[in-house]
Amino acid sequence: MSAYFAFARSSFHSQLAYRNEVWANIFGKLVQVFARVAIWQAAYAGIGGTVVDGVSLQQMVTYALLGGAVMGATRPERIIGEIGRSLKTGDIAVWLLKPLSYPLYLFANECGSFGYRLMTQVIPTVVFTALFYGMLPPASLFDGLMFIAFWALSFTLLFLMSALFGLVAFWLMTSFSLDWILGALLQLFSGLLIPFWFFPEPLAAIARHLPFAWVVYYPNAVYLGRLSTADVWLHFGLGLGWAALFLTGVLWLWRCASGRITVQGG
Amino acid sequence: MLIHHLRVLPLLVRMHVRSQMEYRGALWLDRLAQILSYGSVFATIGILLARFDTLGGWTWPELALLFSFQLLAYSLGAAMSFVQLRDLEELVRLGTFDTLLVKPFSPWAYLVFSGLNIGYTGHVILAVALMGWAVLSIDFAWSVWSASFLIAALISATLLTAALITMIGATALIWVRSNHLFSIFFGFWELTRYPLNIFPGGIQTILITAVPLALTSSVPVGALLGKPIPILGDWAGPVSLVAGPIWVLMAIAHWRYATGKYQGAGG
Repeated sequence: MSAYFAFARSSFHSQLAYRNEVWANIFGKLVQVFARVAIWQAAYAGIGGTVVDGVSLQQMVTYALLGGAVMGATRPERIIGEIGRSLKTGDIAVWLLKPLSYPLYLFANECGSFGYRLMTQVIPTVVFTALFYGMLPPASLFDGLMFIAFWALSFTLLFLMSALFGLVAFWLMTSFSLDWILGALLQLFSGLLIPFWFFPEPLAAIARHLPFAWVVYYPNAVYLGRLSTADVWLHFGLGLGWAALFLTGVLWLWRCASGRITVQGG
Repeated sequence: MLIHHLRVLPLLVRMHVRSQMEYRGALWLDRLAQILSYGSVFATIGILLARFDTLGGWTWPELALLFSFQLLAYSLGAAMSFVQLRDLEELVRLGTFDTLLVKPFSPWAYLVFSGLNIGYTGHVILAVALMGWAVLSIDFAWSVWSASFLIAALISATLLTAALITMIGATALIWVRSNHLFSIFFGFWELTRYPLNIFPGGIQTILITAVPLALTSSVPVGALLGKPIPILGDWAGPVSLVAGPIWVLMAIAHWRYATGKYQGAGG
């Protein structure tokens, strides 16, 4: 286990090495969050109301801050890109010789990156924008605690989805399109920019049942107290079910993929 | 020298395109994925407008014109610059850039044309189709003047995009690493899918001056449609047209300065 901890620590430190990038990333994240808030302010101003479909502007601002800063700390393209690179360079073959699990290594690596982004992007952005816009606290202590559980679930689910998409590269021999396809699905169906409250039916009903909803929509809805206690537990259980399904898929695909490795490098 | 360059450039482009076409299945799958990705962004904006009717005073077809203009200007400009200049950092780090300096050829022209990116085909297909729909759906009286303005503004926006990317890439010749500046570029670029007037004053100012990406989208399209443009007002139209050529001149000066400062970082 200490090996995986070392991978996570190494991933964290390697990203801290370039200070200019840390500042650029904080700045980039702040701009992104400010923009999302501006979009919602403009949308609400357009219809001249402060409450739309039972959702106040302040709740939407909080949703935008959570979606942009907190839930945006995981980077699927990094995970898929890592698998694609290992496949292209032939490094992937080396993992078969090591007494380590490649999927677990990827997870440890992503944990390290997540820690880096949490400290250098998420916390500064949330603190700064919360001071600026006045972010709402969790609807209750229970919702706050469950939000953290949903956040951990969101991170795990996003990692598993990315790894699953990345492993498909063994058959396609390119990871580029997989990264873009997952990005498209997340853009539309995770609730990243628009929560499903504002989706037309039956698109909203479909989106609420897809696994992408657990990446942004459900954690944020729990934080804002939009789900009853029974619904929180039900959806947490369903989210765990999706995670178990994706985990099985990743392990199965990795086993199949291991048998397909063809090293073409020198 | 110029004739020599002009004769070699098509050969460089042809060589790169042929190498790209080697894996046609992957090439077209990648393009399809990009169409899906930008299509989902467009769909997201559509869902927002379906519920809220307008955004900053812009209707759905007007925003479709804005989104398609932004995507088309970016893809044309980035095809001539992005991947090539993003990879410059690695060429500097490994010392490979030195080999370009000893070629009897402009290093910038060699970099750009030996890597001319046909990967933006998906962007162009989506943007042109969307622009066609937006032009027909929009409540606007088209004339020869307005159509000419749209085309001229698109060329200016393309030049501006390529100039900005060139400047970011060229910074690697001084700093060794410059790709983190692209994260700032793309952070601002995503904002330019929306009208400029919805953003706070500070972001509006940055988008017109330091990172002038609003001049590649909402400023020209807003000027065309007669929308009020913050800061620039009635100057929005003329500024949109001259911004591209001016930033190209600035990019040339920056490239020359950066190559003059280049000392090599490779072993």
